[in-house]
Amino acid sequence: MVPDQDVLSISSLWSQLTQCAAQEKALHLADLFEADEQRFERFNIDACGLLADFSKQRMSDEARDLLVALAEERQLRHWLDALFDGAEVNCTEGRAAKHWCLREEAGHAPQVHEQLDAMERMVERILKGHWRGVLGDAITDVVNVGVGGSDLGPLMAAFALQCSLPPEGQARPRIHFASSMDGSQVSQVLQELNPRTTLFLVSSKSFTTVDTLHNAKTARQWLARGLGLDYASESLLRCHFIGISANPRRMAEWGIMPANQLQFWDWVGGRYSLWSAIGLPIALTVGMDGFREMLGGAHAMDLHCRSMPWQKNLPVMLALVDVWNINFLKIPARAVLPYDGRLKHLPAYLEQLEMESNGKSVSRAGEPLDYDTCPVIWGEVGPNAQHAFFQLLHQGTQPIACEFLMTARRYTEDMHSDAAVELEGQHALANANCLAQSRLLALGERALDPKVALPAYKRYRGNQPSTTLVLDELSPGTLGALLAMYEHKVFVQAVIWGINPFDQWGVEMGKLIATDMLAVLTDPDNAEGLDASSQALARHIARKQKSRD
Amino acid sequence: MHITVYGDTLCAQVTATAMAQTGHRVNWRVVEPASRERLARGLPLFREQGLDRLFADQLESGRLIPGFWQELPQTAPDAVFLAFPPGEQAAAEGLARRLASSTGCGVIVNQTVGPVGAAEQLRDIIKQIDPRAVLVALPDLIQEGNAFQTFTRPDSILLGCEEGEGESLVRELLRPFNRRKDVIHVMSLREAEFAKLAISGILATRISYMNDMACLSESLGVDIDVVRVAMGADPRIGESYLYPGCGFGGPGLSSNVLALVDALNKLAAEPGLLERVLQTNERQKEVLFRKFWQFHHGNLAGKKVALWGVAFKPGTHRVDNAPALKVIEALWAQGVEVTAHDPKALPDLQNWAQGRGELTLCDDPYDAAEGADALMLITEWKPYWSPDWQRLKRRMREPLILDGRNIYEPAFVREQGLIYRGIGR
Repeated sequence: MVPDQDVLSISSLWSQLTQCAAQEKALHLADLFEADEQRFERFNIDACGLLADFSKQRMSDEARDLLVALAEERQLRHWLDALFDGAEVNCTEGRAAKHWCLREEAGHAPQVHEQLDAMERMVERILKGHWRGVLGDAITDVVNVGVGGSDLGPLMAAFALQCSLPPEGQARPRIHFASSMDGSQVSQVLQELNPRTTLFLVSSKSFTTVDTLHNAKTARQWLARGLGLDYASESLLRCHFIGISANPRRMAEWGIMPANQLQFWDWVGGRYSLWSAIGLPIALTVGMDGFREMLGGAHAMDLHCRSMPWQKNLPVMLALVDVWNINFLKIPARAVLPYDGRLKHLPAYLEQLEMESNGKSVSRAGEPLDYDTCPVIWGEVGPNAQHAFFQLLHQGTQPIACEFLMTARRYTEDMHSDAAVELEGQHALANANCLAQSRLLALGERALDPKVALPAYKRYRGNQPSTTLVLDELSPGTLGALLAMYEHKVFVQAVIWGINPFDQWGVEMGKLIATDMLAVLTDPDNAEGLDASSQALARHIARKQKSRD
Repeated sequence: MHITVYGDTLCAQVTATAMAQTGHRVNWRVVEPASRERLARGLPLFREQGLDRLFADQLESGRLIPGFWQELPQTAPDAVFLAFPPGEQAAAEGLARRLASSTGCGVIVNQTVGPVGAAEQLRDIIKQIDPRAVLVALPDLIQEGNAFQTFTRPDSILLGCEEGEGESLVRELLRPFNRRKDVIHVMSLREAEFAKLAISGILATRISYMNDMACLSESLGVDIDVVRVAMGADPRIGESYLYPGCGFGGPGLSSNVLALVDALNKLAAEPGLLERVLQTNERQKEVLFRKFWQFHHGNLAGKKVALWGVAFKPGTHRVDNAPALKVIEALWAQGVEVTAHDPKALPDLQNWAQGRGELTLCDDPYDAAEGADALMLITEWKPYWSPDWQRLKRRMREPLILDGRNIYEPAFVREQGLIYRGIGR
């Protein structure tokens, strides 16, 4: 059963938290640390191969206790039960959100494991060089054609894990991603690859996504031309296309052969789907054992989230900290800063996961909200961001929350043995920078030598709050736990705010209007009735294209 | 003279046999218990036409005495040959150390193929123990399948030697095989080792080059065999190692090229060409599979294929890195049933297949073809050159002949009512 819910701001805890924030605004993080040497002990959680340090958040014990009480008042327990019972938590689309089910053990999710086994058979054939192109060549390159959840998750995780060794005796194909509608990636990929040895994965939950279907069609034409076959050739489809979708009928209509179809289900949201067959590029990177290890890590986080008291619960505390920052400290943005380059694509993945889920302004009951929800989230590999936007974090006018990610162990694998010493040195350097930045952001110039007087333009105000996440190491298991943590954190926030995190109506209308715009671009006379800006732009483009002819 | 030969290799067997045949007293000491057992029963480790009988003769004459490697020579030998498998540097070093510590081991002749610099390392080890000890390198140039001939009638002998004493002893030992003209090239240890690898490299390159040309021939509609003869007639090119086919294998050639690629990689030069040579060869090993795949548009489940010849080349019973192995694995993966015939290599093939998959091994080549959807000729043993085509056609389910060595005349086979596919024709 899905619990009923009021609007958040009528809660008496809300006003208490508002008061508490007003009092604490005057406090500086440097004071908090000075007053209390035990602060870290009370503001960290270590679980599932992850340590989260919240002590650099501008939060007192009192604020934390109020937030935990707020979670209780918002019936978080009931909501988590509803999520894990498969209740209809996605109210606007009338369905459950059971991505957690994708990492259940076989006995609890036979349907899921049937697909995992089908996926395993494909992975094995590809990695052993037994998947053959139409002319009998082993596949050397795999192109993932998908967008949104069918792109960001697999891309992020496959990139993060590509440094782990491929399974013994198996040759990992090169994996490419083509997502953008304008064809920039697909054209690039096709230029470099050989049609004889290239396999395409067409990933789309609905199998109606325009971006993906256009890219897939371009790829199919390229194969047909390159191999001297018909566009409709059955062997072309059998040897060069795998389809991954929740809509087998559409997949079949497009031409994906029954044996090459992998399925997932309506109850998996696109941005929560990397645990399903959508994760095929990840499995091709780390092997099926590695993929199952990632599911195992995520499952451990599911259990953690369901069983731990709120104060010791990673996703819950992460969510409450974010609620505190945006609703009470009024911090409008959060920067995600991985200090391990393998997590390069994590910011983009989180941008979708968090902003598409919680970028909402209407309650579950359909009432407009009078408080903020998801902050603006952006990020970059930390050391690179230091040379880009850290200036604003240190000396700009906005308060911004930061999330630092680092790995404790790295370069321990045999494959690095030759340069291990140098690389370990670089890892230490990156970690040192991570700790230095979070310290300076928190304490400001009180982290520096007090005897040196600084001119105004060299001063550091500090008091920018941050959370630091330390992974024991970056492995399929810890990555799984990390991502599941973010998924649940998003849900917990949605419960506090009283919104539905599983729909995305805000992205639908633009697609429709684009169809009309296509007509306007073909003939600017169709622009009649549009706003002046759109009309003018359409005419400008038409003029420029003509002058080129 | 008294000579001791160490190692379980073909090179060791040929050296021991040839030395005994020319009148020396030879102790051949092997490492593996299985080898020792074979020798004790009077059996050679390697069977090759001609070599078998000669080996038996030497045993009988008493000039060739088999033994175990841990025994040190009883009487101080005049020369000790080290003929270990490629890459078994550690075994060679351990033995060299023991030999140098014993009294009077004579000249050590290293035939083991290792990375460039390995012989120098051996030399340093023995010099440290006994400054008067001498080491020369005589890299193994034996061609498997024709081993005894290539040792006793060589076109060229590479001798790495930095001391006069070593050179005169080796010259004396090889005198019976160096009569028509002097074919011994004396150079430094390092140069001898490198020359050996460089020879392997260029041979491999010629084969892969021809396979590339064969691939082009198919698209251009010309017969590579006609082109091959024309190329070979040019004296700058010559005829050998110009045969396109379904890839080269064996313990020697590919491992030598790998060693060379390795050396190039370590020294930070560009290994581009040789790496491509090996890649092309690995691809080529599957060429018959691809032809079969294309013939059936990728629907191979339930099909049956017969292989003729699985040894890595005619004349040997060995299957190390043989193209047949890659073909069999590719066929298995598609659910194809495989039968095989080979005059000598079936026991080795069976060994390899253990735990990998199901194979039907046939003593009669026509039995292997029974009910087959294709016959793949992989190793060009002489008895395969002129088969009874009608008999084959009757017994096969689909008379598809995939000729991996271009030994048949396409038009003739087609006239007989069979379907023919060769390499580059």
